[in-house]
Amino acid sequence: MKRLFRIVLMVGSSRVVPPLVVGFFFLLYIGVAFFTDETLVTLIAFTRKSIVLAAILALIPLNRALCLLRETYMHLELRRMLAGKTGDNGAEYFDEVVELPVSSSFPELENRISAMGYKIRRTENVLAVWRGISSYPVRMLIIAGTLCLFAGVLITTTSRTSNRYMVIEGNPFPTSEGTGSIVERISLSKSTGFILLRSLIMEVASSGSWGGKKSFEIYPPSMFGGAFVYPRYLGFDLRLQFSAPDMPDGYEAHHSLNVYPPGKEDNEVIPGSPYRIVFSTPEPDAGSDRYITYMTGKVPLNFKLMKGNEVVLTGSTPGEGEFVRDGYRLAFPNIRRLVVTDFIRDYGVLCLWAAGLLFAAAAIIWVPIRLLFPRREMMFRYAPDAVWAYSRSEGGARRHAGVFHEALDLIDGSGKQKVEDRMS
Amino acid sequence: MAIVYKMIPHILASFGIALVMFRGFSGRRSVVALTSIAGFVAGAAGAVVLFRVYRGTIPFGVIKTALGSGFLILWGVAVGVMYRSTGRGTAFIGGERFVDSSYYAGICTVISSMVAGAICMSRLPVADSSVLKVAVFVFGGGVLACGVVFAAKILEKRLPAAVTVTQSGMLAAVMAFLLMSSSSTLRLDLFSPLSMKVMKGIHDFVHQFMESILIPDHLFVQPVVWKYIGYLFGKGVGFWGGMIIWFTPVLLIVLANQLERLPSVAHVRQGAQRRKLIFAAIEARRFRLVIPMFSVIVFAAAAYQSSFPSVEYWDPKPVPVTANQAGEIFIPKQGEINLEDGKLHKFLFKQGGREAKFFVLMTPAGKLTVVLDACAICKPDGYGQAEGSVICYYCITLIPLETVGKPGGCNPVPISFTEKADGVIIDGMTLVNTWGATVQSTARVKEGGK
Repeated sequence: MKRLFRIVLMVGSSRVVPPLVVGFFFLLYIGVAFFTDETLVTLIAFTRKSIVLAAILALIPLNRALCLLRETYMHLELRRMLAGKTGDNGAEYFDEVVELPVSSSFPELENRISAMGYKIRRTENVLAVWRGISSYPVRMLIIAGTLCLFAGVLITTTSRTSNRYMVIEGNPFPTSEGTGSIVERISLSKSTGFILLRSLIMEVASSGSWGGKKSFEIYPPSMFGGAFVYPRYLGFDLRLQFSAPDMPDGYEAHHSLNVYPPGKEDNEVIPGSPYRIVFSTPEPDAGSDRYITYMTGKVPLNFKLMKGNEVVLTGSTPGEGEFVRDGYRLAFPNIRRLVVTDFIRDYGVLCLWAAGLLFAAAAIIWVPIRLLFPRREMMFRYAPDAVWAYSRSEGGARRHAGVFHEALDLIDGSGKQKVEDRMS
Repeated sequence: MAIVYKMIPHILASFGIALVMFRGFSGRRSVVALTSIAGFVAGAAGAVVLFRVYRGTIPFGVIKTALGSGFLILWGVAVGVMYRSTGRGTAFIGGERFVDSSYYAGICTVISSMVAGAICMSRLPVADSSVLKVAVFVFGGGVLACGVVFAAKILEKRLPAAVTVTQSGMLAAVMAFLLMSSSSTLRLDLFSPLSMKVMKGIHDFVHQFMESILIPDHLFVQPVVWKYIGYLFGKGVGFWGGMIIWFTPVLLIVLANQLERLPSVAHVRQGAQRRKLIFAAIEARRFRLVIPMFSVIVFAAAAYQSSFPSVEYWDPKPVPVTANQAGEIFIPKQGEINLEDGKLHKFLFKQGGREAKFFVLMTPAGKLTVVLDACAICKPDGYGQAEGSVICYYCITLIPLETVGKPGGCNPVPISFTEKADGVIIDGMTLVNTWGATVQSTARVKEGGK
């Protein structure tokens, strides 16, 4: 059973798997590129729909998980060997293994190796020596990072769902089940951070079923009802009243205007009529924040009333107000901030973030260990008529090999001397 | 004389391939010599057949596919040798006997020589020449191959015996010479299309990645941070990404050679003997680096040749045009400019502070086409015309003339127009709107989302 476990572990955690899978997807990417320019999006869509492709992609996180087990198993086995707790040969854990046909142990060896800065542990028939810090924790971090990365890619690719809603000041907070409490306030302000230029807060009032007051910010995005609240774009909700000489009954409705950044045009078609109104917000004064109008809530609007392709009238209002000319009436009695928000249900995001943290931690730890304190180990196992010597290093291999070879020469020389002494 | 000048890179490449093959299969020189010549002639003859049977892009596509496949194999081999060098006790299973055989040497040599021969023949006007002239070309190619192979054999014998090459090093060198050879032919060049695909791939990947980890849009992010993100959408990333993909396999082979474990000498009890063995192993490892390192230089030459092709493009100055009362632009077919001469003709239309550059071209199929002087992906640096293709100045991608007028990729954005007996009519509003909707938004993205 133990042997079977080892075989499964070795095959499943093979280093060949990730490059093979990545290579396979790369070839698929090239193949898809022959047929469409949206290659990556198409490949993601294929993987999302195909169980086979998803299963192939899943081989990487599975491989990494098994690799974590294997590394831990090998690390523990190595420690057991060095502690003299197992009689296994364990040659696969070492760079060099040599059998010397000499008997007995050599106190002189301990002194010599100790003088070279190695630490020594002696058990009944094993002499273990080492120096430096093992890279095992870093390897675990890297493997765990890769596991999280590809698990995140897999989860995101196969299960991500996204719903886009308008979060409007004064309206109920939209949820997939219906609507929640009222959005009390949406505020955009300058941020003092290194990364974010502006901070956005959507404050939602408390209510009985909804719970306490909640606020949603930009990054990291808050979770709500199992979905990340991901603000995308800014705009305004406009209550529009319109009447024209040929439309005396008038028209009234709410419209969402996507007019940022300033200068961007959005147009609203008046249903059942030839009329169309094109809106935009003017550029603010030089030196002002481009989104100052959103911050203050005072929204000057430029508008252009079109009848077919003909411009009937143009004008602007400093905010909420009314505009009347030539029998046309345009009124904006209410303008409120809105945020176009994606509600994203995707737990892969957490894995991707975790991967980033793990890789960063691994890099911070690995560099000094590898440069300054690489792990170097030797083990001498004494049998009645032979000495088995093992050596491995995670850095500084040439110097360590020199020490190892010198130790072997010492054992060999002392062993022969003892034989000669006995014979004489 | 011009033909001889054109052939120089291909002769050098064939010579290099033969030289490396002789050294790589040093025990099988006669097999290598024979298969080199036979392969070259077969490749040249095959290319002639392809170019005479299929017109347009197909023959080039076949040769490019062969080159692309070879490059992918090189990548696979490079990853494999890296895996073998860095793994503890890892080895590939079987195949050693076949690799040592004459069959293997012959197959490798014949395939590489065939591709070299086909590339060489693609530089010659074989599609429209008489059969006799083509036969002379193929025969000349055979004679040339004989000369090149024997010259390579003589030089190889004079090289120091210590300079050896691994199978992976040999593959890297052969691919380097083939790519150098192909980069001197605009329509066989791989590096520029690779850079363009990398640019698009990275653009898509970064976009997807940022969406995946829910990075806020640029309006919330400090301009300096967005500037750095913007670098990932620029031309530089395509070029440097292409360089990474271009050089990585050969550098992996170099690295794998350096990371190869030295032989265990722990069983040797004489220090001097141990040092001698280690030194010999290190020295052999250094000499094995010579050919892969030389391949790096050849790869660099190919990339340079591709990035700065020695071709002069037809790129006329845009002629200003205006619209009539109905907003229509009329361009006569004949006049100062002959729209039907097979050359691209550029025009500039300005209206109300907005402008659009476009060109009119008659494709080899005899069909007039009107397109923007820009594509939907790159910054609008415009196009120039070379033999059989137009080139996007921004990403140096070649667009075959046959496909100009079709949308997608780096093709110039097509514009709807009406063809009359005496000219073409284009709607001015459609023209500036198309320019505004596609090109200007692309330009903003390329400038870092500002």
